[in-house]
Amino acid sequence: MARFESLLDTCGNTPLIGLPRLSPSEKVRIWAKLEDRNPTGSVKDRAALYMVRTAEEHGRLKPGATILEPTSGNTGIALAMVAKLRGYRLVCVMPENVSSERVQLLRMYGAEIIFSPAAGGSNQAVATAKQIATEHPDWVMLYQYGNEANARAHYETTGPELLRDLPTITHFVAGLGTTGTLMGTGRYLREKNPDIQIVAAEPRYGELVYGLRNIDEGYVPELYDASVLSRRFSVGTRDAVLRTRQLVEVEGLFVGFSTGAVFHAALAMAHEAVREGRAADVAFLVADAGWKYLSTGAYTGTLADAESSLEGQLWA
Amino acid sequence: MAIDVRIPTILRSHTGGAKAVSGSGDTLLQLLDNLDAQHPGLKQRLVTPEGGLHRFVNIYINDEDVRFQGSLDAKVNDGDTVTILPAVAGGAFGFAAASALRG
Repeated sequence: MARFESLLDTCGNTPLIGLPRLSPSEKVRIWAKLEDRNPTGSVKDRAALYMVRTAEEHGRLKPGATILEPTSGNTGIALAMVAKLRGYRLVCVMPENVSSERVQLLRMYGAEIIFSPAAGGSNQAVATAKQIATEHPDWVMLYQYGNEANARAHYETTGPELLRDLPTITHFVAGLGTTGTLMGTGRYLREKNPDIQIVAAEPRYGELVYGLRNIDEGYVPELYDASVLSRRFSVGTRDAVLRTRQLVEVEGLFVGFSTGAVFHAALAMAHEAVREGRAADVAFLVADAGWKYLSTGAYTGTLADAESSLEGQLWA
Repeated sequence: MAIDVRIPTILRSHTGGAKAVSGSGDTLLQLLDNLDAQHPGLKQRLVTPEGGLHRFVNIYINDEDVRFQGSLDAKVNDGDTVTILPAVAGGAFGFAAASALRG
């Protein structure tokens, strides 16, 4: 049955597909969990829906309420859709240097946008949102970085779906942002299989993002619990672009650059299993498709050109 | 051969502005001691008085986070690349801020 009562009901239960051409052998297989098949096209629909429902259940969100969230992209787009269908106003705080596609998408879904200075990067936007929240005590900040419902969405849905569809899973690889996906999915899978490898891939950004005045101004999401992870990789722009292109060229899978970074780590895990003579089923998470990143120009031309064009733009 | 160490902008005051320096050692701690002898004060920015890795510092050996390889006891070898980065808010949000300034 593929009939649903409303768009919100199509959230989750995404396909898990094999990548026969990119898998190293029949014993070491790589699988992609297509989270771009969610209502607004990203994994963030799961967290948005759970965070809103939980806030409703706890009485924090009442009809007509205003939701405030620091987000540049997928979470904002997901929240905007959920807010529209549930009757809330959404205000997003984001760095002023995000791509025009994102701003257009958010406004199209009905969100209002407050820009924070680009120079402060994401940390500055989080700080700005927290400041605005104190000025508007009646606004509800769901705060994806510290909201347990974000991780719980994955504990209750993404994790069980993966184990149902791939009982032989040996590795789960995903991007590390709010850390919600890895914390929730990782906890669930590890409870069911203590030997599973939970692997994080984080993009290595351009300089400006790290341009903090002091190490003490750094930030680790409240949801993050390192004990859930087995390993954590930092993936540079060039590797992310290379793998993003490889996915579409070899398997016809059109993904965003953060997924290229995740696939880079998944491939490393698969080849490590081959070297060690072990069988493996490596599942990685496709956070979104490539549509929102076409304007970067990084899907075509030389890798060096792509790398340089992405250094000046958001790439995931 | 030596170990290549990438220095983030906020720590380059210790390296005379250099983006990358080289050092030696068998473990990350030895490497940081070696670097600190060449670039005084660097280690103190990375390691707490209690002897642990600073909470808001991430260090990677060949792109893999050292906290999952024994932290300061992680093994390093000649030819490795060590990358030091401050922790920033991540996710689609962090990526969005990935603007400007080539490293």
